[in-house]
Amino acid sequence: MPDIAIATDKLTRKFGELTAVDGVDLQVESGQFFGFLGPNGAGKSTTIKMLTGLLVPTTGRVSLLGMDFAQHPVEVKRQIGVVPEGMGLFERLTAPEYLEFVGRMYGLDKPTTRKRSDELLEFMQLADRSKTLIADYSHGMQKKLALAAAVIHGPRILFLDEPFEGVDALAAGALKELLGRMTERGVTIFLTSHVLEIVERLCSHVAIIRRGRLVAQGSIDQLRAGVPGAEGRTLTLEDIFLSVVGEGADRPQVEELTWLT
Amino acid sequence: MADVTVAPREGYGNATLPSLKEQLKLVAWLRWRSLRNGLRSNNRRMDLLGMLVSGLFSSVLVIGITIALFVGTKYIFEEHHEKYLGLIFLGLLVWWQLFPIMLAGFAPQFSFKTLLRFPLNFSTFYLVGLAYGLADAAALAALIWMGAMIAGTLASEPAAVPAMLLVCALFAVLNVTIERLMGAWLEKLLAKRRSREAIFGIFILCMVSLQFLNPILQRHGNEAKQVIQTALPYLWLLPSSFAGDFVARSSEGQWSGALLHLGGLLAYVLVFSVLLCRRYAKLYAGEELSEGASPEPRTKRTGIVEVDDSDTLGFLPPRVGAVFRKEARYLKRNSFLFFSLVIPPLMVFFFSMQLAGARSGPFKRGIPPDMFFPGMMAYLVLILLAPSYNSFAHESRGIQTYFMSPVRFREVLLGKNLMTVVIVFAELLVCITLVGTRVGFPSAPILAATLTAMVFSVMGQLTIANWASISFPKKMEFGKMQGQRNSGMSVFLMFGVQIVLGGISALILFSGRWTGSAWLPAQVFAVLAAAAFGGYFASLDALTELAEKKKEVLIEALCR
Repeated sequence: MPDIAIATDKLTRKFGELTAVDGVDLQVESGQFFGFLGPNGAGKSTTIKMLTGLLVPTTGRVSLLGMDFAQHPVEVKRQIGVVPEGMGLFERLTAPEYLEFVGRMYGLDKPTTRKRSDELLEFMQLADRSKTLIADYSHGMQKKLALAAAVIHGPRILFLDEPFEGVDALAAGALKELLGRMTERGVTIFLTSHVLEIVERLCSHVAIIRRGRLVAQGSIDQLRAGVPGAEGRTLTLEDIFLSVVGEGADRPQVEELTWLT
Repeated sequence: MADVTVAPREGYGNATLPSLKEQLKLVAWLRWRSLRNGLRSNNRRMDLLGMLVSGLFSSVLVIGITIALFVGTKYIFEEHHEKYLGLIFLGLLVWWQLFPIMLAGFAPQFSFKTLLRFPLNFSTFYLVGLAYGLADAAALAALIWMGAMIAGTLASEPAAVPAMLLVCALFAVLNVTIERLMGAWLEKLLAKRRSREAIFGIFILCMVSLQFLNPILQRHGNEAKQVIQTALPYLWLLPSSFAGDFVARSSEGQWSGALLHLGGLLAYVLVFSVLLCRRYAKLYAGEELSEGASPEPRTKRTGIVEVDDSDTLGFLPPRVGAVFRKEARYLKRNSFLFFSLVIPPLMVFFFSMQLAGARSGPFKRGIPPDMFFPGMMAYLVLILLAPSYNSFAHESRGIQTYFMSPVRFREVLLGKNLMTVVIVFAELLVCITLVGTRVGFPSAPILAATLTAMVFSVMGQLTIANWASISFPKKMEFGKMQGQRNSGMSVFLMFGVQIVLGGISALILFSGRWTGSAWLPAQVFAVLAAAAFGGYFASLDALTELAEKKKEVLIEALCR
């Protein structure tokens, strides 16, 4: 029986009349590089917020590493790392100060925090900006720092919301290699991104959400096989995505903009 | 490769510029919608309630001055003291130029410069800038007061109304132009974060220093009087004097003199309009003021650096220590807050000059140490505890870290409150020394009663302040004055709690005199302090649960 890292049971979140996430059942095995996709407003960020404890589900259950999040929030948080939508940085600290703060919050002792912080800053090419306030960092630099903070305690599950947005190609390449090695060591990575090429290259498994409901889940090969008329064609993740969520009324029709086309 | 030519279709590049009237209407609509939409959430509505309460107090001031100006102007014309009109205009000028700076925190966060992305023509941009200045609370109050002056003129000297109307209109244009010009220059000056923070710090110190003006004048009044008398004749050069003299002379039928003064006022309007026009032209042309354009240089890497891994806060639980250290760093980098720590000792020094001792001042014999000391300590608590009612204000997106990490909120609150207590303690030591050396120490029972009362008040307030911080959070940004205020409910709660606790403490302090038992207040406060301590620690778990329930409100309010 596979070791399940992330499991949700009929996860639902309502905002007044609007049901942003509607009965989502996710199953992610340990060590998987898992891509979570969906169009804008489909419920991706709401789901990731519920999985990381930033948002309380209206109904349903989140279980991480076999522990119920609602029952053991502190224990679960100890095991996970998150790069949230807004990055969650304290902008009035410098990068080493922020990493020291996060390390201590995760219970690391000071020498370990310092050592890891130095190594991560070096890896993220931020070491020469160690005296600059985070507020003065560029968006890409802030993203790299958020990633460093998410891994400083050695999490078993990593939640990444658009992790490569604004990051230069050089650093992105190194980061992808790092994340790949982490999954080899059994770390589960849950990633959302609108750049389908990145998801296709990195992720072994994918789930697609549309209007708050999970409409596809499985390995990329499984999803590829599920696309009608896929036989004999090499479908990209974009083809799969479009066939699952983009067809019909959801897909914007360019022809409707007659004054532009 | 074949050339591809796409013929322009009907949708491209044929948008027509709306008329000036239409553009102003659109901007007014935008501001109204921004305000209305900003009040949608429940917390914002509670904000509105708090603002209404504080607005009520401000209204009393505005209405009071309106009545005074109506009566005053009427009296001036009836008794033929028109030469004093210039002084009223001078008051308006000072108010209009200084008060917006103090009120900056209450202004809605909307930068009219953002409108530049739209096809506004320059004249519209300029007019929108002026209209923006007129929407300021200080400007509105000044307009109401000028209305009162016109009404006063109408009631006593109807013939002078046209002159008064003309002068008021010109004076309003001049004031709003100067105010916008100062604002634009300040914006340029304050575009850099560090210069911004330093200037705000200096500004705070200047405001505090003003308090010392009166005691200094009392000591060096005669010398100051001579300086003022030398400067007085030059007051006629001010626009307020031109405004007042034009009305005065035109009401007396001295038309040549009146026109000369009107010319002076017009010259002021012209000069400041040209200056504002030049400044706005640069903004309109796309002047980049943000520091993003000039990033800091990379620091040079040195070889291996010896690092000290010893933890000076090792005696604290690691997470509480981490929050405490972070708070200390934030305090160090928030010039506004940092400078505000200098204010309490300065004010204690000021009060000791004014109220205590046997020197001159309103209290000829001076307030005795037994009364002065508790009063000063109450003031200290009032000032230093105020930020605790919105203690997450500066966290911004960092608030998410608290909810993502394996930390219980009680540890976050403990770390933050510990910083407040350390600050109060440090300020207490400085102020006790100051009071002791300048005024003298109070009697032992009063000293003990005051100190135990402080423990009671600080712990009691921290409990309520924690609740307020979680329930009514309001984001504040470093080094910015615009929109930097606590939520209305926090302000309301803070004043309510401080009035109640202050009242209780005063009653208990006086009970010693009434009963003839000098140590009774200290004993009562000791019991109350113990109860407040117990209540504080008992509340931490409940507040942790509350934070969990309110985390969406917190994140939404602080990450926006």
